[in-house]
Amino acid sequence: MRLVKLISLLAMAIGSLALAQQQVTIAALMKTTANPYWGAMEQGIRAGARAGNVNLILQSVASESDVEPQLNACLNLLQRNPRAILVAAINSVNLLPCLRQANQRNIPVIDLDGNLDPAVLQRENIRIAFSISSDNRRAGASAAEYIVGKLGQNFSGKVLVIEGLAGNVTGAARRDGFIERLRQIAPNAQVVATLPGDWDRLKAANITNDILQRHPDLAAIYCANDTMALGAVEALFASGRGGRVLVVGTDGNADAIRSIRSDRLSASVAQLPYLLGQRAVENALRVIRGQSVEARIIVPTLVVDKAVLESNRDPLLQYLR
Amino acid sequence: MRIQLPYRTPHTPAVRLESFLVLLGLSLAMAVLAPGFLSINNFLNILLATAVIGVLAIAATFVLSSAGLDLSLGSLLAVGGVVVGVLGVNLGLPWWVALAGGLAAGVLLGGVNGYLIARAGIPAFIVTLGMLSVGRGLSLLIADGKPIYGLPPAITFLGQGRFLEVPVPVWILLSLTLVFHLILTRTRFGRYTLVIGDNEMAARVTGIDVAAHKIRLYMLSGGLAALAGVLFAARVNAADPTAGISYELSAITATVIGGTNLFGGRGTVVGTLIGALIMGILQNGLNLMAIPAFYQQVAIGSVLVLAVWLDRIRDRRPA
Repeated sequence: MRLVKLISLLAMAIGSLALAQQQVTIAALMKTTANPYWGAMEQGIRAGARAGNVNLILQSVASESDVEPQLNACLNLLQRNPRAILVAAINSVNLLPCLRQANQRNIPVIDLDGNLDPAVLQRENIRIAFSISSDNRRAGASAAEYIVGKLGQNFSGKVLVIEGLAGNVTGAARRDGFIERLRQIAPNAQVVATLPGDWDRLKAANITNDILQRHPDLAAIYCANDTMALGAVEALFASGRGGRVLVVGTDGNADAIRSIRSDRLSASVAQLPYLLGQRAVENALRVIRGQSVEARIIVPTLVVDKAVLESNRDPLLQYLR
Repeated sequence: MRIQLPYRTPHTPAVRLESFLVLLGLSLAMAVLAPGFLSINNFLNILLATAVIGVLAIAATFVLSSAGLDLSLGSLLAVGGVVVGVLGVNLGLPWWVALAGGLAAGVLLGGVNGYLIARAGIPAFIVTLGMLSVGRGLSLLIADGKPIYGLPPAITFLGQGRFLEVPVPVWILLSLTLVFHLILTRTRFGRYTLVIGDNEMAARVTGIDVAAHKIRLYMLSGGLAALAGVLFAARVNAADPTAGISYELSAITATVIGGTNLFGGRGTVVGTLIGALIMGILQNGLNLMAIPAFYQQVAIGSVLVLAVWLDRIRDRRPA
């Protein structure tokens, strides 16, 4: 009787060992998940890991300025011998010693959200398996396409662009992508001003009021994030022009979606961090299996407006978080 | 017992001529350069855009006049906004309870500033720098890290409504300017403030309870910051825990441009309104001219230094 018990226990142990061997360990190093963007990406990574039967070890740091703690966390993750490591580096250099060690131990490195600089990596002779990010220029271009789609190819009206903090790369890419695409598809449209809203709601509201003084016939506003777009919308409604000017934001955050549903904000170009996280894990698994993966994967963006929300047919909608 | 104040007639007029001339010169320049500048509507628009910074700057005027400093204005602004948001939206309390709660939170944290400065003797720079961080953290905690979008209509009326065609925040800014001008120039509270800023030792010798007065000053500062936060939230229909970052610097700048001495003893609320308007007109003109971001930063910084320089030329002239 005791022997039978022992044998069955042994069998169970061997069985779970075999299962553990099937299960791949992947490490993920995040920025702070207090930021909703990174929080949604973490959810996506966890979902991808569940679907691929991955043993996920995920770590994040307390704030976006924890440069050195993130490096230490990265080195700790390597100690646990993952088959691949996903990193959302705080800047393009802080993780370099860790990434070099990963290279030496043949652990594939995956760049989450495109924080690593290819030029720096080349100079330091560090290889990465692939990078996966959403394209901010493309996000701006999608907003231009949405506005022209609404106002027509021959649209010759006035457009205001409210950009982010002066000198911020993300905001500049969205602005440039928007203006470039608008010039291509609606050459008669006039960009009357491109002004810095500094990601600040109230500044965006004030800029909107100022521009309306000079251009009461303003047709559309593009904002480099949703916070500013919501500020601009409130200024329009307070001045009695609500609903007469198209306002398009960027991010697709929860408040923007609510505002779109209640007919205030026209649309938002949604980034899909959840999808990004999920696809990062899927492609990491392909790398581990020795399959080929694109060096630079771009995650699509989704232009959300009321029609898209109400028809609820776009498969990408499930990734809105 | 009435306390005899040191003899000190208000030699300083309500507004210094220099700051008024800067305002006038800048307006004339913008009228020529910026299309759409010269209209009643744009004038109201500038006042509206100045309201939040203007209310903060009134707070800064009192604190600076007393030779103090409040670096936590921007963070207490956020606290005021999110407390109103949490009480009025998340907890569904009536709007006036939410409003009172928001203002009380500002007064309370301002009181903490004042207590640490006046009773514990820690320099105002350190205390309010600490509160800058504590207040921001608290507002993020209270709001659970995300904006509270969609406020009660009674609250948004304070930011978006109009009374006699004039936006409500403009009424609030102008009436606060009048009230606090009278308080600074006509009441004992105002005179104590200036006397403490001029010579704290002398104020003590005269029998003024300096510590108690300082605590009241920082409570006032916190309360006004919270009120500015309510206006901010009402204008954009959202209580945002990240609202007002670095607004304290704009408020202090407006105050100094208006003629208040950065080191105490001289202060003018009407001057502060003019200082805030100078900044508002500059920003409005730059936007109307569609000046790009990097040039705006250079232009704003230059005009600010120039304005204070013109104001100070008079101080260096023999009287």
